[in-house]
Amino acid sequence: MAETRTDPITTEIIRNLFLSCAEDMNATLIRSAYTPIIYEGKDCSVALLDENGDVLGQSSGLPIFLGNLEVCVKLAIEEFGLEAFRPGDVFYMNDPYLQGTHLNDSTIFAPIYHGDELVGFSATRAHWLDVGAKDPGTPMDSTEIYQEGFRWGPTRIYAGYEQREDVVDLLRRNGRFGYSLVGDMNAQVSACFTGEERFRSIVDRFGMETIRAAREEIFRQSAQLDREAVAAIPDGTYTAEGCLDNDGVGEDPVWVRVRVDVSGEEMTIDLGGSSEAARGPVNCGIAQTISACRVAYKLLINPDRPVDGGTFPTLTVRAPEGSIFHAQEPAPCGWYFTPLGLLIDLIVKALAPAVPDEAAGAHYGDSMVIYLAGLDPRKGNAPFLALEPTPGGWGAFASGDGQDGLINNVNGGFKDIPVEVYETKYPIQIRRYGFRPDSGGPGRTRGGCGLFREYRLQTDASLYLWFERSKTPAWGLEGGRDARGPQVVVRHSDGSEQTLLKVNNLPLEAGSLVTTYTGGGGGYGDPLERDPERVRRDVLAGYVTREGAERDYGVVLDEKLRVDEAATARRRRERRT
Amino acid sequence: MADYRVSIDIGGTFTDFVVYDQGRERAFTGKVLSTPDDPARGVVSGLADLIADLEGISFLVHGTTVGLNAFLERRGTRVLLITTEGFRDVYTIARGDRKKLFALQYRKPRGLVPPEDIHTVRERMLYDGSVQEPLREEDFGPIIERIEREGIDSVAVCFLYSYLNPEHELRAREILRERVPGLSVTLSHEIASEWREYERSSSAVLNAYIAPTVERYLKSLDGQLKDRGVPARLHVMQSNGGVMTAAAARELPIQTLLSGPVGGTIGGQALSRTLNRPNLLCVDMGGTSFDASLIVNGRPSVSTETELEGLPVLMSLVDIHTIGAGGGSLAYLEAGALRVGPRSAGADPGPVCYGRGGTQPTVTDANLLLGRMNPDYFLGGAMALDRAAAEREIGRVARELNLGAEELAEGMLAIINAKMAEAMRTITVEQGVDPREYSLVAFGGAGPMHAVALAEELEIGEVIVPWAPGTFSAWGMLQTDIRHDVTRTFYRPMEASVAGDLESAYTELEEQAREILRDEEVPEGRMHLLRTADMRYVGQEYFVNVELPGGGFDAETLEEIADRFHAAYRTRYGHSTPGAPVEFVNLRVAALGELERRVIGFRPPAGGGHEEVRGVVFEGERVPAKIFRRDRLPTGSGVSGPAVVEEETSTTVIPPGWRARVDELGNMIITPEEE
Repeated sequence: MAETRTDPITTEIIRNLFLSCAEDMNATLIRSAYTPIIYEGKDCSVALLDENGDVLGQSSGLPIFLGNLEVCVKLAIEEFGLEAFRPGDVFYMNDPYLQGTHLNDSTIFAPIYHGDELVGFSATRAHWLDVGAKDPGTPMDSTEIYQEGFRWGPTRIYAGYEQREDVVDLLRRNGRFGYSLVGDMNAQVSACFTGEERFRSIVDRFGMETIRAAREEIFRQSAQLDREAVAAIPDGTYTAEGCLDNDGVGEDPVWVRVRVDVSGEEMTIDLGGSSEAARGPVNCGIAQTISACRVAYKLLINPDRPVDGGTFPTLTVRAPEGSIFHAQEPAPCGWYFTPLGLLIDLIVKALAPAVPDEAAGAHYGDSMVIYLAGLDPRKGNAPFLALEPTPGGWGAFASGDGQDGLINNVNGGFKDIPVEVYETKYPIQIRRYGFRPDSGGPGRTRGGCGLFREYRLQTDASLYLWFERSKTPAWGLEGGRDARGPQVVVRHSDGSEQTLLKVNNLPLEAGSLVTTYTGGGGGYGDPLERDPERVRRDVLAGYVTREGAERDYGVVLDEKLRVDEAATARRRRERRT
Repeated sequence: MADYRVSIDIGGTFTDFVVYDQGRERAFTGKVLSTPDDPARGVVSGLADLIADLEGISFLVHGTTVGLNAFLERRGTRVLLITTEGFRDVYTIARGDRKKLFALQYRKPRGLVPPEDIHTVRERMLYDGSVQEPLREEDFGPIIERIEREGIDSVAVCFLYSYLNPEHELRAREILRERVPGLSVTLSHEIASEWREYERSSSAVLNAYIAPTVERYLKSLDGQLKDRGVPARLHVMQSNGGVMTAAAARELPIQTLLSGPVGGTIGGQALSRTLNRPNLLCVDMGGTSFDASLIVNGRPSVSTETELEGLPVLMSLVDIHTIGAGGGSLAYLEAGALRVGPRSAGADPGPVCYGRGGTQPTVTDANLLLGRMNPDYFLGGAMALDRAAAEREIGRVARELNLGAEELAEGMLAIINAKMAEAMRTITVEQGVDPREYSLVAFGGAGPMHAVALAEELEIGEVIVPWAPGTFSAWGMLQTDIRHDVTRTFYRPMEASVAGDLESAYTELEEQAREILRDEEVPEGRMHLLRTADMRYVGQEYFVNVELPGGGFDAETLEEIADRFHAAYRTRYGHSTPGAPVEFVNLRVAALGELERRVIGFRPPAGGGHEEVRGVVFEGERVPAKIFRRDRLPTGSGVSGPAVVEEETSTTVIPPGWRARVDELGNMIITPEEE
C-alpha cells in the first residue's frame, strides 16, 4: 500500500530513509571489502542518487570524496543517454580526468529500476591498493599517467545482474594483488545492490510521486539554508595564494592561487593563475577540484547538515584547462591530494576576513607520508612495508586553540599506529613520539603543535618520504603568526646527518635514525594578547618552551615557571613599540 | 525464616527493586526515587520499606551508575599518569584521528589528565617483553614529592609492553605505596592486558579517575546494609554482563561503568532460555534514551572495547547501542522541517502533560493525545497527566505546519519510531544479522508502547513484553553469574608449532581466572571457564573473537579453530578466505561462577476481562480499543488489537492486526493476527 502524503512528517521520514540507505550501502562496502585501506582507513564513499544523478543521501567516508560521485554518473548519462541503461547493469571507471582523484580510486555505480522506470542510481568509490603502476601502490615520481596504472572510462562490469567475466578478468590481470582487487570490486557491487534493494523498498512504500515531492522539499531546505548563509557573507572579492614545495620530480614551487567572488547568494571560486600542469604527480582532475572546493565551503557553511542535491546551490568553481587543477592527459595524478590540502586552507584564508568567527588559521597541510621498506630478519627475511601518514597541528580560531597532533583535512578517521603494534610488526624501534614544542603559530589563541617521531632501524631499509609545506607553512590569521613547517632528519649509522622532505628509495643501514617533524597550525590574533597564565600552562604542558614564551609571547617565566608579571609587562610594552 | 534474593537497579530518577521470595516462590517489585547525593540512603530505605525482615536477604545484587556519573559529569578524582620516558604525549595525542569530518574548529575529546599531570620515568621493554632499560627508581622521587605536596589520591601507571612483562608496573606500585600508603594505584596491565599503549593508558586513567568515588560509595552501602543486619554479600553488576562481589568491584571499578543497562540484556538472555528463543533483539526505551542489544544463540553479544565520550576503554562489555530517543524527546521545527529528538525534556520540566512547566511537545504527550496512555493510571495513578495541555501545545506546533494536532502526534511517533528502527538496524543489518530471524523483547517504561510499530518497521514477527517491563533490568540482574575476564596478547601465526605455547598460555590464564573465582568464594564445581581468541588474517588490523573448543591443542583442533574463524569472519564481513594465513592477537578466558539461579516468573492471576473502552488513534482514525489491566490477564488469555494493556510502570499498545497471548510465566507474546 503506497502512502501518498507529502507533508513535513513524510518528508522527514523519507529524508532519514535516504540517509539510512546510504549508511546501509556503506556498511555493506566496509563489511565486505578485502583491504584494510577501505575497511580501516575508510578510504571510500557511497551515495544514493536520483534519476538525474543528484544526491539523495551520502554517507561520510573520506572527506575529500564529498560530492563527486554524482559527477561520474552525470558523465555517464551524458555519454550514453538514459536509454542505454538496463536493470542489472553495473559500471566501473577510474579515469582521473573524468572522476578526479587517482587511478587507484575505483568508482562503481548502478542504475536502479522500479519496474520499467529508472528511479535513481547507487554509486560507490573505494581505493584499490594496486592498479598496475610502475611501482607498487602509488609511485612518487611518475611523470605520465601511463606509469600510474590502467585507466578506464565508464565500463559495464555487470549486465543483467551477471558479471562480465572477460572484463573482470582484464582488471584482475592488471593489478599486483588481483585477488583482493576483485574482492574489493565485489564489495562495491554488493553495496550498489544494497542501495538498489533499499531504494526500491522506499519506492514501494511511498510511490515515486511522493518521493519526488519530498526530494524537492529536502533540496529546497538545503538550498535555502545555504543561500541564506552565502548571502550573509559580505559581497566582495577575496584572494589568497600559496605554494607546494615542488611536484616531487623537479625543484620549482607549484602555485595555488584562489579568488573567491561573493555577490548576494552567489559564490564563485576561481583558480586561474595557479600553476600549469606539473611534471610530477600533483595534478588533479576538475571533478576532484570541485569536491575540494566543496569541502572548504562545507567547513564554513552549515557543516552539520548532510549533503544532498540541494547543497551548494550557488557555488561555481572555475579552473583553467591544463592547470594542475584541471589536469589533461597525460598529466600524472597519483598525489593529487597534496595541492588540495593547500587549496582548502587557502579558500578558508581568503574568506577569513568575511567570516572571522567561522575561520581558523591554516593546518599543517598534507598527509606527511613515510614508508620504510626492507626485509625482516626476525621473520625469515620476509619483506615488510611500514607506511604511515603523520598527524600535525591545526589552526587556531577565535574561540579556541588549534588542535595538537591531528590528522590532515583530506583524511578523516585515520589513526596513528601504536608504538607497540609498530615495533611488533616491523624491525624498527620508535624511540620517542610527542609534541614538537614551539611549532604551533603563536597567537592570542595558539596554533596546534606538530609532532616528532623518532625511528631507529634494526635492519637495513629503504626510506620513502612525501613531506610538504615547508615553503608555505601554516599561516596565522588576524595577527596570529605562522607555524613552523615540516622537517625530516636522517642520522646515518656513520654519524653523518641529512635533512630532507621528499625522497624516493633512499637506502639506510641498520642503526640509522630517522626523525620526522610535522608542522604546526597557524595562530589567531596577536600573541602579545594571550593570557600569560595560558602561556605558562602551555610551557608546563610542553607545547611552548620557556624561551619560546618570551620570544613569541613576551611572557617571562622565572626558574620555577611562574609568570614574572613585571618583566612580562615590560617585555610586551617593548614589543608593541 | 524468609529467604530473599534481591536486585536493585539505581537509575538517575528511580531506583527499582525486584525481590524473589524463595520460600513462597513469589516475586514482587518496588520503585522509589533515587537519592543522588547519597545513593546508598535511597537503597537502604527503599529496601526497608519493601522487606520487613532484612536479615532474610540471602543474595543481593545491584547495578550502579555512581562510577559512570562521576565520569560523565567530570566529578572524579584528579589523576596523575606515569608512563615510559619518550612517550609522555601519547595520552594527549590520542592517536590523532578526527571524529567529525567537517569541522574547522574541531576539538578532540577532552582527556581526564592534562599534559602537565603526566610524568615519565626511565624504563623500556621491547616488543618481546625483554628489558632494554631497567626501571630507574630514583626517577620516582620528584613524582612522589608532587603527590604529597598536591595531595593527589589516585595514580595510573602505563608502561610500554606491560602486557607482556608487568615487572616494572608492579615495582612502580610498590615504590609508590611504600612512600604514600593508601594511594590508589591503577596499573594498566591489570585493567587491560593487551597491546596499544594509548587505549591501555586511557582505560587505566578512567579506572583511576572513578576508583576513589566507587570505593567510597560501595563502602558506605556495605556499611549501611550491615548496620541494618543484611547478612548477604553485596554483589555488583558488571559491564560484561556478570556480577562480582563488592570487594572485587573496589579493585576493578571500571567494570561497574555500564552496570545499569546490562541488566536488561541479561534478562533477555534468561528469557531466551526459558522461552527457547535463541535470538532476541532487546530494546529498552525510557524517558531520554533508547538502548538496543542482541542475544545471539542464547548469549549476549559481548565486545572487547568501546568508546565513552570519545575516550577508548579496553574492557569486556555487553554491546549496547544507545541513541537519544525516549518519552521525553522533543518535537521542534527547523528550516520548515519537523524534527523529533535527540533533544529531550528530561525529567525536569519533562513532557507538557506532567504539568511541571514544559511547553514543548514530547513523544509522551503525543502518546497521551492519541489515547495510548491513560492519564489517570500513570505510575499506577500516582501522578495525573494533563491531556488538555498536551493537546494545546501539540496543536500549536501543528498549526505552524498546517496539520491537525492528532495528525502531528502520529507524525511525531512515526519519526521517533523510524529513528529507533534505525538504531536497531545498526546492530543487526550492519553487523550481518537479519532482524527477521529475531524476536523483539521490549521493556522500560515506554518500550512496550512502541514495540509493535518497531517490529513492523523491521519486519519482525514476534514481540515479547515481559512481566513488569518497567523493572526488567533489575529482574535481569537476578539471572546472572559471577564473571571475570582475563586476557593476554599472543601475537603469533596460527600454525601447528604454536600448539604448546598456546596451551601453556591458556593454562596460566585459567589458573589466574580460578584464583579470582576462589577469591569470590565460588566452589570448584561451579566454575566454568570459556576460552576465546581474537584472530585475524595476517596483515589485518581488526580481529574477530572466536570461541575455542575445550581440551588441548593439536593439529586437528587448530584446524577446527581455523574453520571457526573463517565462519565467524564470514558472518561479520560477508566473505572469508579459507586457506589464507591466520594469526592470533589476544587470548581471553571468561571465568564464570555459576550462582544459585532459578527461573522466576511472576504468577499471573486467575481472572480477568477488559476494563473499559477508549478511543485510540491508529493510522489517522480514532477507533474504540479495549483497555486491560495487566495484573488481571490470566495465563492463556488472548487480546486482539486494537487494545491497550496497562500496568503500573508501563503500557503495551496492541495495534489492529496484532494479537497478544499471555504465557505461563506472565509474558505477553504479540504476533500478527492470523488471517
